[in-house]
Amino acid sequence: MTLTFDAQLRLGPFEYNAAFEADQEIVVLFGHSGAGKSVTLQAIAGLVTPQAGRIEVARRVVFDSVSRVNLPPQQRGVGYVVQELALFPHMTVADNVAFGLEGAKRDRHAQIRPLLSRLGLDGFEERMPGTLSGGQRQRVALGRALARDVPLLLLDEPFSALDESLRRLLRAELLRLRAELGLTVVFVTHDLREAHLLADRLAVFDGGRILQFDRRDEVFRHPRSRRIAELVGVANVLGGRVIGHRPDGVTVEVDGVALLATTDQRPAVGSEVDLAIRAERVNLRRGTVADTDGVNLLEAEIVEEHAYGATHTLWLEPAGAGPRIEVEVPSRPYEVLGVAGKRAWLLELPPDDLHVMARAPESG
Amino acid sequence: MTLRSARTDVVALTLVVALGAAFVAYFALPFLGLADRAASDGRVWDLATDTAVRSALWLSLWTAGLSTVIAVACGTPVAYWLARTRIRGRSVLDALVDLPIVLPPTVAGVALLTAFGGRGLLGEPLADLTGFRFTFTTAAVVMAQVLVAAPFYVRTARSGFAAVDPQLEHVAYTLGASRTETFLRITLPQARGALLAGIVLCWARAMGELGATLIFAGSLEGRTRTMPLAIIDAFERTSLGLAGAVSMSLILLVVALAVLVLFRAVAPAEARR
Repeated sequence: MTLTFDAQLRLGPFEYNAAFEADQEIVVLFGHSGAGKSVTLQAIAGLVTPQAGRIEVARRVVFDSVSRVNLPPQQRGVGYVVQELALFPHMTVADNVAFGLEGAKRDRHAQIRPLLSRLGLDGFEERMPGTLSGGQRQRVALGRALARDVPLLLLDEPFSALDESLRRLLRAELLRLRAELGLTVVFVTHDLREAHLLADRLAVFDGGRILQFDRRDEVFRHPRSRRIAELVGVANVLGGRVIGHRPDGVTVEVDGVALLATTDQRPAVGSEVDLAIRAERVNLRRGTVADTDGVNLLEAEIVEEHAYGATHTLWLEPAGAGPRIEVEVPSRPYEVLGVAGKRAWLLELPPDDLHVMARAPESG
Repeated sequence: MTLRSARTDVVALTLVVALGAAFVAYFALPFLGLADRAASDGRVWDLATDTAVRSALWLSLWTAGLSTVIAVACGTPVAYWLARTRIRGRSVLDALVDLPIVLPPTVAGVALLTAFGGRGLLGEPLADLTGFRFTFTTAAVVMAQVLVAAPFYVRTARSGFAAVDPQLEHVAYTLGASRTETFLRITLPQARGALLAGIVLCWARAMGELGATLIFAGSLEGRTRTMPLAIIDAFERTSLGLAGAVSMSLILLVVALAVLVLFRAVAPAEARR
């Protein structure tokens, strides 16, 4: 394990308690600002001292409140890139990148040459940070953190100041670097798309706690609670009551409609649960409930819609009983189905995509 | 005529230029007056070679220099700490640093007497034990200058350090740089401009110090009589009179100007941006 992390701390009214691990992968810490993501990186880097806990980097204890180990940032062996990059403005690109190395300047500059060309910074050695573009500055910050051959890279929203095309490029570059160097990366972001693209594993932060830490797809498809579902962008979270058990799942009554959901869980009949289904997993079909085979069908009418270019988001109100549902349709099916000219549809909520979440009392 | 009309700008510009010109003229005239008087008097060179004037000038130069060195050596850590600390009551500390700036120098001189004078808090036991007295020594001149001038350095340096993003230092730590190395290679170069400005302010204030020195150190030729004191002395006594004061003022101005220009030229070149 390259990183094992477990820390508790209190900063004024802010209480923090989180534990996770990372090993040759990108772990994304995802959440709103103020959720505790950046503090986590600072604690790993040794810039913030937790009140209790234990942190190991590359099998070396760097912090342990019990045995009173607290290595200073200089000895933790992690690369840390902050959101504002914090390039040393009075130093050249080469001096910035070579800052963490020891020895004569000439040797250090020779040492970083392969890294600079890997990052596409050939010929920029003598430039000052102030003369670089946003993407180039980003690469310099990354190079400076990587130059010391650290096993662990901490990135705090490093791409947030860049425009979309540049971010896409740098994300791809980061994935390539991870693959080539076998890096372990802890990546902080509040951008859902970025989290999805980069994460091998995902830690969802909220109010100083990790609500869920799991493989990315597990978090996105099977959020453990309504709050997590909302945070990871599940558009439809439907509150309901279990009314029956079936071999492969449960039947849940939502706003007067019975919905089947595939699950291994067997929440007690009568207990309250939340059902989550992503907007893009809902099917639009023609016809009526009476003449259509299938389960979880709902006649509904489009009451509102937004066009986002690549996709359309539709809100549908049921004709009779049932919940209001948000549906996302890619623009091509939107045109083929002729959604623009037809308001009444048959919604299908596939039982496999309906995720059942117990309604646990939540602290967040 | 409304604020929107183009004529407003013409009127405003005329007014601004007139005010600025009056301001510049107000500052230039006294210096022109000095030069004019000195020229008609014709004794500037005689005075410049006069031993009493020379010793006063030399005393001023080196005591102000020493005071500045002390201010930098002792004030830099304080300024850095003030810029970085988050303790409660920081504003009170800041105000305390500023206090000597607003204090009339005469009050500073009296305060020094109560502390280091022959009957002072520390001065009395020191005199009883060793027989040493600060008053009428060159040390007293430097002490008066430090008290009055050092806050100018600390204040400017504090703003300079505060303007350096702490994240630069944090990142340097994670790159293995010790606190000392970080301060020397990251913080200091960033705050350089402010520190140099503070040094100039401090030295200039020490050069002009009069009130505190007069009360605490006295005006003893060759030992505590700095240029400003010598000028007062010349002005009050009859031997040289106004003409002498004028010439000595001019000498002080020229020398101070030369030192400041030299300092800016010698100080390491501004870091590339």
